[in-house]
Amino acid sequence: MTDAVIDVRGLTKVYRVHERQEGLGAAVRSIFNRKFREVPAVTDATFRIEAGEVVGFLGPNGAGKTTTLKMLSGLLYPTSGGARVVGHVPWRRDADFLRAITLLMGNRTQLVWDIAAADSLRVLQEIYRIPEDRYRATLGELTDLLELEPLLHKPVRDLSLGERMKVEFAAGLIHSPRVAFLDEPTLGLDVSMQSRIRRFVAEHNRRAGTTVILTSHYMDDVVALCKRVIVIHHGRLLYDGQLGELAQRMAPYKVITVALRDGAASAFLDELGTVTSRDEASVTLHVPRESAPERTARIVRDLEGSLADISVEDPPIEEVIDRVFAGERMPEALAAT
Amino acid sequence: MIQIYRALLIQAFQQMAQYRVAMFLYALFSFIRPIIFLAAWLAVAESQGGRLGALSSSDLAAYFVITIVVTHATQAWDFFEFEWEIRQGRLSPKLLRPLHPIHYSITGNILWKLQTSLAVVPVAILIAITFDARFTTTPSHLVLGAVSTALGAALAFTFGWVFASVAFWTTRVHAVVTLYQRAAFIFSGQIAPLALLPGPLLAVAYALPFAYMLGVPSDILRGGPDIATALLMIGGQVVWLAIAIGVYRIVWSAGLRQYTAVGA
Repeated sequence: MTDAVIDVRGLTKVYRVHERQEGLGAAVRSIFNRKFREVPAVTDATFRIEAGEVVGFLGPNGAGKTTTLKMLSGLLYPTSGGARVVGHVPWRRDADFLRAITLLMGNRTQLVWDIAAADSLRVLQEIYRIPEDRYRATLGELTDLLELEPLLHKPVRDLSLGERMKVEFAAGLIHSPRVAFLDEPTLGLDVSMQSRIRRFVAEHNRRAGTTVILTSHYMDDVVALCKRVIVIHHGRLLYDGQLGELAQRMAPYKVITVALRDGAASAFLDELGTVTSRDEASVTLHVPRESAPERTARIVRDLEGSLADISVEDPPIEEVIDRVFAGERMPEALAAT
Repeated sequence: MIQIYRALLIQAFQQMAQYRVAMFLYALFSFIRPIIFLAAWLAVAESQGGRLGALSSSDLAAYFVITIVVTHATQAWDFFEFEWEIRQGRLSPKLLRPLHPIHYSITGNILWKLQTSLAVVPVAILIAITFDARFTTTPSHLVLGAVSTALGAALAFTFGWVFASVAFWTTRVHAVVTLYQRAAFIFSGQIAPLALLPGPLLAVAYALPFAYMLGVPSDILRGGPDIATALLMIGGQVVWLAIAIGVYRIVWSAGLRQYTAVGA
């Protein structure tokens, strides 16, 4: 086994939160007698990520994804447990560690609002001590990949959200980090810009071999970029493995959609699987994965001329993830250790 | 580090150039308060035959003219910006870079003072002429005064960061800072030259750090104390600066453990 770039063992973070009831009386009482509650954000997380991997970190809001990324990037001290990222304990924030990572957060800017991005990039060049030739080469590459040329000399405040996100990527990657933590990098972007950012991340990973941990609520991001996913819910890791395997285990069925001509009879489809929707023109049913080929063939054969179209698909990944978050039992073989 | 400071200074200049009017309006604060106190004390001195203790009206004018310049050179405002940075989540990007966030603040502080001194110094000269200020400053006082002003600025800046770091525990640092500023108001020499404070208060003032931020450099630049006393005062500044840096390091390190990266 190669050395892990990210090695996390029993990482736990508990926040202490001030709590009070509503109303004036409770407000007065809280001045003299504060009550705190401990909220576990991440509990006993353990995983390893090898160099060059792109791993999706999935979970609903408040699951502990961002807290984990903040600990791994050195912003937060954990309550207990340990982690090493590129050989460093993140929260010691050694200069060598900080030169080797980046954390990009959608809708958060690290650029100076009032000046042109090119000027901020020059400052970053000095802070990260990037030699001039390497700076020019990296900036040239990022400019090509992100089509930055028209954006670099405008004040950041004059850029659209999508344009700003592209420039944020340039600022986050100008020092060629070995590890990139991307927290909702496509948040709020239109479909076209999301797609471009995805292509950029994939291409940058291919060219530079950067290890990437990505959180996103857009499953298209995860499907496009991540073979491996880590699922976290209520601060606990539920799953760590291949995205495809998660779908197979959590949704052991295929979705067959049958389009019918002229309101043809379709009652016999109920015998072949679980019908989830039906109207005059089409029927959708779930069938067990292993019998999907045989049942598809039977539908084609039995419907003959009444069949206008037929498709066989995996269930949408959103549905699979919903099942995990809804608390359906994770197969033991898949559950994260 | 020189290259980094050069780049940060350029960046700070680019930012400030966007808000020229605001920059000079903030500079007004440096001389409005000393002028008010000067007018008040001159009125008191006039009612007592033109002197106040050991100080003549011209000495008082010289002191407050000097405090205009020294107030401008030593003021620190990071507590308010730092609280805002934490609450808005803007500290996190700085913490992710291999450069301590204090360096951004140092360059911003230096540049603002250099730029706005273009407005402050002419005003101070005008007031000195108007109020017939009398300086007894020798070249030695000038050199020691410059060193003392730099130490006062470093001291005020470092204490500013100590109190700014309180924001790691409470994101509402304003109340704590107000208390700090009230104490500075009384004991730093803003209200009156330190020599006019009653005996017990004078002893308290020299035991606290505030006088070393404003009153001490102002007195030295005015040519008030002899050279031996001036050196002793500068020694006090060095001691307080060492204490401030030590406290700051402890508070910063403990604060980072508390940091919750809210809003980011």
